[in-house]
Amino acid sequence: MEAFWVYVTYVASAAGALAIYLAMPPSARSRSRAALGLGAVALGAMLVVLHQLAGESGEHITFGLLSFLAIGAAARVITHSRPVYSALYFVMVVLSTSGMAVLAGAEFLAAALVIVYAGAILVTYVFVIMLAQQPGSTDPLASSMKYDAMAREPGAAVLAGFVLVATIAGVIVGREWPDGVASEVAAVGNTLAIGDVLLHRFAVSVELAGVLLMVAMIGAIAIARKRIPRADEGDESPPPGEIGRRAKPF
Amino acid sequence: MVNGAGMSLVGAVLFGLGVVGFLTRRNLIVMFLSTEVMFQGVLVNLIAMGMRWGDLQGQAFGVFVLVIAAVEAGLGLAIVVMLFRRRGTLDAERWNTLRG
Repeated sequence: MEAFWVYVTYVASAAGALAIYLAMPPSARSRSRAALGLGAVALGAMLVVLHQLAGESGEHITFGLLSFLAIGAAARVITHSRPVYSALYFVMVVLSTSGMAVLAGAEFLAAALVIVYAGAILVTYVFVIMLAQQPGSTDPLASSMKYDAMAREPGAAVLAGFVLVATIAGVIVGREWPDGVASEVAAVGNTLAIGDVLLHRFAVSVELAGVLLMVAMIGAIAIARKRIPRADEGDESPPPGEIGRRAKPF
Repeated sequence: MVNGAGMSLVGAVLFGLGVVGFLTRRNLIVMFLSTEVMFQGVLVNLIAMGMRWGDLQGQAFGVFVLVIAAVEAGLGLAIVVMLFRRRGTLDAERWNTLRG
């Protein structure tokens, strides 16, 4: 693709980065309105680039809608000042990602995404958020709003993210891509084909993944069951290596 | 069938947003959520690469990414709960003694 579209991609990334910077938590109303406008410009430019990339391969509108939803929701995940809403916007990211997987012919992965991510991991997140932020302003939560309402070094972080995204996106847009190739095993159904690949080519990796899950489960139970003394009661500050060692594991 | 280039573009943007979120947010839980956004970007990219080469390895790796994301969420959230019990706050800045 010619160099013009690469520059369009850079401009879109810059507008998006500025929008994210303006939308970062200490947000006044005027700033968030400007962020909304810039974000709309960036997303619109990106949709035009996507349209150019897609060429004649069809399904433009569905894919454009899904990518719009995914990126907008991801921007809200990282800029919303209340963690519960961040988690709920992340559900939207997962759903639109699984929609893209369906469009790409990965039905099994789409279903697994909805079940594992939206159904299991996100429930764990929401559970921990609820556990850590009960309503009622008792002492440990008095400052809970302050650190959510303040971003840490937003300028430098947005600059780093802009350089990363602009570089990768420039390379992607600048290359010639072949049209999507339908995989040769699609005739038997995606789930069957994935199972075949997993259990023939990646059998050892599947076993290792199972072992890893079990080790992680045992580790999480061991960590969460430890009796952790509060920092502000009793002995003030044990040296960093001693924090876990003084507590009995079970 | 969509084009692989568009999907990897979306994946790159998702990954970049996750990086920015991880660097800027101070809430430990939201930092972990940002890593999940990065995982989503990688997953979209894997699906796109699988499409581009026309075989199923990309999707198989996507399944493994899902496993790693589950492991990371479980262990990470256990550590977050432990840190919250210790200090009573989720502010990452309160744990800057580990900077050395």
